[in-house]
This record gives sequence, structure tokens and C-alpha cells, in this order.
Amino acid sequence: MKRKVNINRPKLSADEINQHKNFDSVLKNSPGMGARPLLKKPWFLSGMVVVTAAIITTVLVLNKKEQQPVVAESVQTSDADSLALAAFYKAEEAKPCIAPPINGLDIPYTSFKVNAEKGAALDFKTGSKLNVPKDAFVDENGKPVKGDVELRYREFHDAADFFVSGIPMTYDSAGVRYQFESAGMMEMLAYKDGKPVNMAPGKTINVELASAYKGTEYNLYKLDTLKNNWSCLGKDKVESKYNKEIEGNGGSDPGDKKDIVKLEQTPEYKMVGLKKEEVKVEKDKQIAALPKPAPEPKKPNRVNKDKYTFNLDLDLTDFPEFAVYKNVQWELGAENEAMSNALWAELNKMVWEDATLKEGNKKGESYFLSLKKGPKQVNNLVVYPVFEGKNYEAAMKDFSAKFEKYTAALDKRKVSEKKIEEEYEAKIAALKKKQEELEAKWKKEMDQQVASMATQDKVMRIFRISSFGVYNCDNPSAYPHGVSCNATLTDERNSKLMCYEVYLVDRHKNGLFTFEKNPVTTFSFDPNSTNMLWTVENGVLYYLKPEQFDALKGGTQNVAMSRVEQQFKTVDEMKAFFNL
Amino acid sequence: MLQTSKYHATETDLASEQAVVEAAKKNPERFAALYDKYYEQIFRFIYQRVDDKEQAFDATQQTFMKAISNLPKYEFRGVPFASWLYRIASSEVNNLFRAQKAQRTVNIESVSVYHIIEEIQESKIDEYHDKIVDIISELPEDELQLIEMRFFEKRAFKEIAEILDITENNAKVKTYRILDKLKKMIK
Repeated sequence: MKRKVNINRPKLSADEINQHKNFDSVLKNSPGMGARPLLKKPWFLSGMVVVTAAIITTVLVLNKKEQQPVVAESVQTSDADSLALAAFYKAEEAKPCIAPPINGLDIPYTSFKVNAEKGAALDFKTGSKLNVPKDAFVDENGKPVKGDVELRYREFHDAADFFVSGIPMTYDSAGVRYQFESAGMMEMLAYKDGKPVNMAPGKTINVELASAYKGTEYNLYKLDTLKNNWSCLGKDKVESKYNKEIEGNGGSDPGDKKDIVKLEQTPEYKMVGLKKEEVKVEKDKQIAALPKPAPEPKKPNRVNKDKYTFNLDLDLTDFPEFAVYKNVQWELGAENEAMSNALWAELNKMVWEDATLKEGNKKGESYFLSLKKGPKQVNNLVVYPVFEGKNYEAAMKDFSAKFEKYTAALDKRKVSEKKIEEEYEAKIAALKKKQEELEAKWKKEMDQQVASMATQDKVMRIFRISSFGVYNCDNPSAYPHGVSCNATLTDERNSKLMCYEVYLVDRHKNGLFTFEKNPVTTFSFDPNSTNMLWTVENGVLYYLKPEQFDALKGGTQNVAMSRVEQQFKTVDEMKAFFNL
Repeated sequence: MLQTSKYHATETDLASEQAVVEAAKKNPERFAALYDKYYEQIFRFIYQRVDDKEQAFDATQQTFMKAISNLPKYEFRGVPFASWLYRIASSEVNNLFRAQKAQRTVNIESVSVYHIIEEIQESKIDEYHDKIVDIISELPEDELQLIEMRFFEKRAFKEIAEILDITENNAKVKTYRILDKLKKMIK
């Protein structure tokens, strides 16, 4: 095999090489180094004497992080850095099991009052149902609770829900770490006068959790917030919502599902369209029926001495427009290109026996003149009537009178046309309004139809709970394979992000893959899937833009994350931002 | 031939280095001294065999990460700690080639080719330069490694032997056999 050969490749200087030294990164990324919490490592314990002072120093360092030059971030490890990290990890590890990562963003609870002695059947917008039996609650001393109990309930269905809730989605089974793929998760808590209450022994609440996931591969897990792990409770029961409705309410067959009809195909909408066409035809008819004004009179022209002009003894009775004129003269038009002085002299010398006039191409302006004497003929000379002296004044007077009449008629017609146009616009506006009403009505119906179809596609994941907390219909899933990255996460200004976890959203899986121990961490992803990467520093969300993720390659690298400037008030705003 | 490798160490140096290694086994942060000492050497070793500078830096980091992880398994055998690092680096580079993430490249300085030509006692230096380069670029990997270490990296046979985990005599014999092969091939 012939290899690539470089002859006399420029040598790198020692400085250039040593600039890439980063022992801190090596230490943190060395397999096995991150397995034991930093605080439990012997070398760390031996340095505890100086912890307090160093933490104070490093907290100051962290607080001033933004003002520090970027270079200073990545130069070399110091004790202060290590201790700052240790303090950071300690704080992160001390957080409660459920810790929403984004400031001010969480999945809200829906609260209900349930009479403890009577129990209740509760329906939720999501389609889920709870059936609370009577006498289901006891206080912290095990005594039955009477009166109204406040039930707080919330559901989690996708990666964004899981993320903002801060509920861990990792599952440790016999030392092997899995990530949950969820078919739906819910949390239920109960309070009496603001104090938490428990479920009475022997009582269970029936939960029907509406889910878009029909598979039977999911188990039911309950979150153990003390052990920070999930306990497997067995299988839930999957029941089609549609089947349930048949059994309970005699619902219709799914085959009866209405097809979504396009608005343009509805008879009402078609009718309005036809009406618009009719109104236009009517308008055009009305305009056409208006009296037509006489043609615009043409202004008479004076004799031009520079042009060939001549008199003719013509009978003009066939041309009423000349009735009021006397001594009309004729000017040869420039259209007679073949006319020359010689030809003109020849024509002038001749005494013609016959001359005929007919209307020319410019109506009311030009005429065709044909002359004949014996066999000699001149046909279709283009001529224009012109006037001279008093004849011109008379012609102008006649023109002014005619033009005034013409203008008056034209104005009258314009008024009539405007009135017709206004009536037409009013009719069209009314029809448009009708169309908009139909559109709104259609959209509402379609939304209902789509919602109804979506509900029919859902299943009920049915299980019984005997204590309050977080329950998850889940399937443990291995971490994605494909590309593995050792990433130092930075913000867009190349400052290292001090974050404890990175979250991978694999759009082909309904879960949230969590990778711990940042700012330097190892994470993997399936390059054939659609992925998103999130992390959080001080409650602020950072993400990797899709084009950056597409360009992500394996190995050790700096990954610049973008800060989400928008303050999400609800998880739906976050879903809209990430197009989830 | 001028040897430029920083590999060689006295017994005192070896003992001192071994103390650092033992300390690093207990506290990985103490490995920083070894990292500082060998970073440049290991990088140059890797960069000699690949085309891409960034890949070489990445592989260097990986080498030290693996070294730290496997440090508890390291046993002192009376040779510099560097020989162990070179073996990890060599394995890391081979992994890159196997995964087709990097292209095996032979980086040659002309002066090194002239040394080879001198070594095989040929006088037509300019005439044989290109031929030698062509032949070297197609040598089997184990032979190329010996030529690279001996002539391009200017390592002593003792060091080559320790890196390749063979005897010094074996390193010499193998190298001269390759030179003999080159001599026959250029004619």
C-alpha cells in the first residue's frame, strides 16, 4: 500500500505544540476518573484543609467568569479550579431528586377538591381519568382525613415536559444505567389544609393515563425520591380509548371517522364563490348599458406652409363632420413616404377627372384620397383636413362646442360607473365576510375533528396506585450509539459553561438522554436520528443549533452552545421555540 | 548519526520519574508533571505518522487519558516511562487508521533520506532520493516503523527496542535487514 508522503513538512514549534496542553481536560475525561464522586476521592479528601478558603476564592472566580479573558479559561489547572469544580458538583449532587433546571419554568399542577368521604371521578383535558374511592386519605398519623382534600395532578408526555420538570429519566438496573423511553408519566399529590396527606392502607386510585403510545413493552415505575431511582411495579394495562367508548357509551365505529373536507369543497363556500361571479357579471352588464358618449372630437389643424397642401373640389355629403366647414384644405400626411417634390409637381400639374375620399386609419383625423384621370390613377394618399384663416376659427369654435358636450357626457358616465362600482364593492365585501365566517366555522369544525381523531388514536394506560408520587409508563433504553464526543461546552463567546448535565433529545425516541459531569463530558448520539442538545448554566438554557449538531463529529472538541434569550413562561413556548 | 531523542535517562532520572508515577497512581493530579514532560514528545511521535495536526492533538490527549486510566496497571521495568506512553500512542494511532479516521502518512525530511543513502553506502545521493522515498512509502508497517524511528526520529536502538518491546539486538538486526532490502530495491 502506497502511503501519503510529505517531504520536509514544516516543523511545529514547541510553543505551538504546548499551547494545546490541557491537563485538566485529560484528567476529567480519562475513563474511570468521573466514576467516583470527586468528594470521595482520597486525593481530594487530603486537601480538605484548604477547601473553605479555596471555595471562597473560586466562587469569586466563577462570579467574575464573564469578565475574564477567554484565554485564561483554558490555560491550566489550578487547585482553585479543582476545588471550585468540587464545590459545584457538591451543590449539584445536593439538589433534590426533582429539580426543574430552568428558572421559573415547570409543568404546572391542576388542582381539584375531592370530598374525602365521597371520593370522585375526575376527567382531564388530556383524556386521562382518575377514580378516587371514598375514604382514600389518611394524615401523617394514619388517621382518616375528612372533608375536602386538594389533589394536585400533572402529566408529562414528551422530552420538553420531562426536561422542564427536572424529573430524572435515568434508571439504574443492577448497576447498568438506562434511559427511559416513556409512554407517559404523571404525578399526583394530595393535601389537606396545605399539609401533605397519604393514601389510606388498602385503598387505590385508578389511573387511566391517556397516551399516544400503544405498545405493551412499557413497565410501570414509581420514582423513589430518596434513592433517586425508579422502582419497577410491573406492567400497566393498555386499553384502547375507542374500545372503551364502545363498551361504555355505544360509540360509533372508527370507520365512521369523517374525512377532512377542504373548505373549497363545501357547498356553502362554493355558493358564495358563484355569487361573487354573478355580482361581477351584473356589474359589467350595468356598465355596458350606460349611454355611450360620442367619440372625442378632434382638434382642427392649421395649414402648415412647410407641408404639401392642396384644395379639392369634393362632394363631402358623405362626411357629416365637414358639414359646418367651408374651404377645407388637405395636407399630405407624412405616411406618403414615396412623395417627392418632383412627384408632387407632377400631381399638381394634372387636372384630375375623379377624386374619391374615404376614412383613414386614424378615425376622425386622416383620410385616404384616390385620384383618377383616364388610365392614370393615384390611390390611397393619406391626407389630413386643415384650415386656414377664418375657416380655422370657425372650425375651432365648432370643436369647442363639441368638446364641451363630449366632456359633459363623459363626466355623467363616470358618475354612473362609480355608483355601479361602489354597489359592486359593497356586495363583494358582504360576500367576503360570509366567506370568512364560513372559514372560521370550518376551521373550528376541523380542529374538533382532528382532536377527535387524535383522541381516537390514543390509548389508556391503566394502573392503580396506592401512594402518591411520580409514576411512569416506561421502557428502559440503552444510550444511543454511533458518534461519541468528548465535549468541552462553551458559550458563544468561548467561555466554558459550568453545567452539570447535558440533555440529548433523540426525536426518534420519546425520552431525554442525560449525560452528567460537565463542563467536560462524554456523550453519544445516533447520527441517523434527529437530535438536539441542551444544557443549563445557572438556570439559563443553552442549546446546539441544528446545523451545528449536523456538523458534530466524534472525538475531543469544544462545542459552542447558543444561549436561549427568550424567557419561556410555559413549556408550550419552549416546544414552539424548538419546534417540538 | 545524530540522535536527537530526549528519551535517554540516567538511573537517578529513572528512579525520580518512577516516584512521580507512583505518586500519580495515588493522586492522578500528580500525573501533571509527566504530562508536561512528555506532551511534546508524544505529540511529535503521533504527528510524524498522521497528516492532520488537529487529529494528532486529539490523539495525544486520548493517549494521556488512557495512560491515566491505566496507570494503576503500569509496572516499572527499568526503562523510561516514555516507552509505555509511546506504546499507548502507537496503539491510538493504529486505532485511528483502523477506524479510517486518519490517513497513515510518512513524513520525511530530505536530510534523513540522505542518511539512509549514506547508510547503504551508495554515492548517487540525488539519483536515489526519490526512489528511496517511493520504496519507504510502500514498506510493510513494521518495517516502516523501524525506519521512521531510527532515521526520521533519530532514536537509539535501545529506545526503539523499548518502545517496540523487543531486544536492542533484534531492533538492530531488523533495521539492517530493511536497509539491505532498500539497497537491492533501488538498483
